[in-house]
Amino acid sequence: MSRLIALALCCLSYSAWASEEHKLAKVQVRTDVQSLERGAETVISMCTGCHSLKYIKYRDLLKLGIAKEKVNSWRGSNPPGTSIPSQMSPEVAVKGFGSIPPDLSLMAQARDGRANYLYSYLLGFYVTPDGKSGNHLFPGVKMPDVLGIAGARTPEERAQIEEKARDVTSFLMWAADPHEQERKKLGYYVIGYLVLLTVLLKLMKMRIWSRLRNN
Amino acid sequence: MAKGIISWIDRRFPLTAIIKHELTEYPTPRNLSYWWNFGFLAGFVLVLQILTGIFLAMHYKPDASMAFDSLQTIMRDVNYGWLLRYLHSTGASAFFIVIYVHMARTLYYGSYRAPRELLWWTGQVLLLSIMASAFMGYLLPWGQMSYWGAGVITNLFGATPFIGEAVVLWLRGDFAVGDATLTRFFALHYLFPFLVAGMVVIHLVSLHTVKSSNPSGINLEDKDNIPFHPYYTSKDGFGLGVYLIIFCWFVFFAPNTFIEAVNNNPANPLVTPPHIVPEWYFLPFYAILRSIPDLLGGVVAMVMSLLLFAVLPFADRSTIPGGARYRPIYRVTFFLFIADIFVLGYLGAQAPTGYVVPMGQVATFLYFATFFILPIVSKREDKWLRARLPQELLAQFDRTNALAKGQNKGDAP
Repeated sequence: MSRLIALALCCLSYSAWASEEHKLAKVQVRTDVQSLERGAETVISMCTGCHSLKYIKYRDLLKLGIAKEKVNSWRGSNPPGTSIPSQMSPEVAVKGFGSIPPDLSLMAQARDGRANYLYSYLLGFYVTPDGKSGNHLFPGVKMPDVLGIAGARTPEERAQIEEKARDVTSFLMWAADPHEQERKKLGYYVIGYLVLLTVLLKLMKMRIWSRLRNN
Repeated sequence: MAKGIISWIDRRFPLTAIIKHELTEYPTPRNLSYWWNFGFLAGFVLVLQILTGIFLAMHYKPDASMAFDSLQTIMRDVNYGWLLRYLHSTGASAFFIVIYVHMARTLYYGSYRAPRELLWWTGQVLLLSIMASAFMGYLLPWGQMSYWGAGVITNLFGATPFIGEAVVLWLRGDFAVGDATLTRFFALHYLFPFLVAGMVVIHLVSLHTVKSSNPSGINLEDKDNIPFHPYYTSKDGFGLGVYLIIFCWFVFFAPNTFIEAVNNNPANPLVTPPHIVPEWYFLPFYAILRSIPDLLGGVVAMVMSLLLFAVLPFADRSTIPGGARYRPIYRVTFFLFIADIFVLGYLGAQAPTGYVVPMGQVATFLYFATFFILPIVSKREDKWLRARLPQELLAQFDRTNALAKGQNKGDAP
């Protein structure tokens, strides 16, 4: 058993090193509702064909600030408390891809490189010499080039797709950690309070210790 | 009214006497630097870990099919669940930073030396217990690294001669890491912190018997001691403020620093992660483990790398009190040792290819060599220093040593 694990470690760590050769593009993740809504639109119309977002409910999208009509059109007859499902049944997925496509709720935090990885992956598709779809970050990828970056002809077309990839990344970053903005906002107050408190504690300490010098 | 209540209690329980003895009249050297804040900080982190842990346990489900999901419920749906979880996960790393600084201070200033051997040893037991708690806690999120990390580490116990397989089976409760493992790790992860809290009390009783060491290493005269309260309570308060600013910055702005990306994938026994690494605080010991080609040898080396700290009070044969302040050779040894640990930590995080293995072996050799050369180095250094230091200072050193020996024989301090 231990030998097997060691062997697996060696093989896999080698392949991990090999894939690191492809540099990740840096993405500036957005947090405004418009970008997240555009990202959600793309994810729901394209990604949920195969992937689920089981930790995100339609209700969460409403809370995020996306218009009710839009969310209603996405959820169809599903109640607002439903998790966003994959349109593909597991059986069909296994038949088509050999495995169930991973859930996307945490995808933006689930790979080394996080948002940058996701963004670079979406833009990492290319057409191999024998006409198949390949990905620089994920050799042997089964997912098709949904954003169509490999087929982009002009710089404008490319820029458009990069924009789309950025919105998708932004939305999935939100999905992976929906409280991030709330957390950071609270963080400023907490740190501000602590700095004030610490200054006062320092003054108190100095005052108490000054007694020692007097005698 | 308040006085009446206190005197009512005092007739039945030595409340005022305890406060006097342990706080308001407890003598503390007046020359302690901020490096002496870390013991208090460790206590604070322990309390914070226990409190956040209790509230997390109210929402967590220790079941292999529910654990990962329940964590996401905590992160998304429980009110301020994300705060609890990030405080706890960041707190685990913070605990080790604080403890390692606390230990490094002990090494640098020679605080482990007579009469503080028992204080040092109870600290060692605390460290081992905290490591065990952290290791078991890391399985609970039931992510890929939780699962495979626990597999690799429990596998090490298979190196136990004769009963290895039985020990591994007993630890896991199953042939592979699974639901049984998760449930027992959860039970023990809840238990251990309270054992740790109990051991902290023993650590403190021991401390209050021998009193704090100080940067000079020389036992101070009574006039140079000050009461713990209000002097060190106020100093600890300020230190706590600084600590909390740094800690909260990580909690609120970079909490994912301490959560491996791979661990955001649910545990999957069929997919091995590309590179299994333990948490950063285990990396130097992991590097030592990997440096020995034989599994049993590696495990023994790893265990010894932790246990050897216990021999320091005997290995250090210098008659100059304290640590690095008056002992230049000891100081150099200390910094080389710390640098070696950093090298080991770095190597522990790398895949074992190329230069990593031989370099790890050299670093491991140097790690152990430090312990084995200390008796010789400290004796030589002692001779060298005694020939050079002023008689007055040496006389003071000898008084300190005599006092330490007296305390060793059980004379009340």
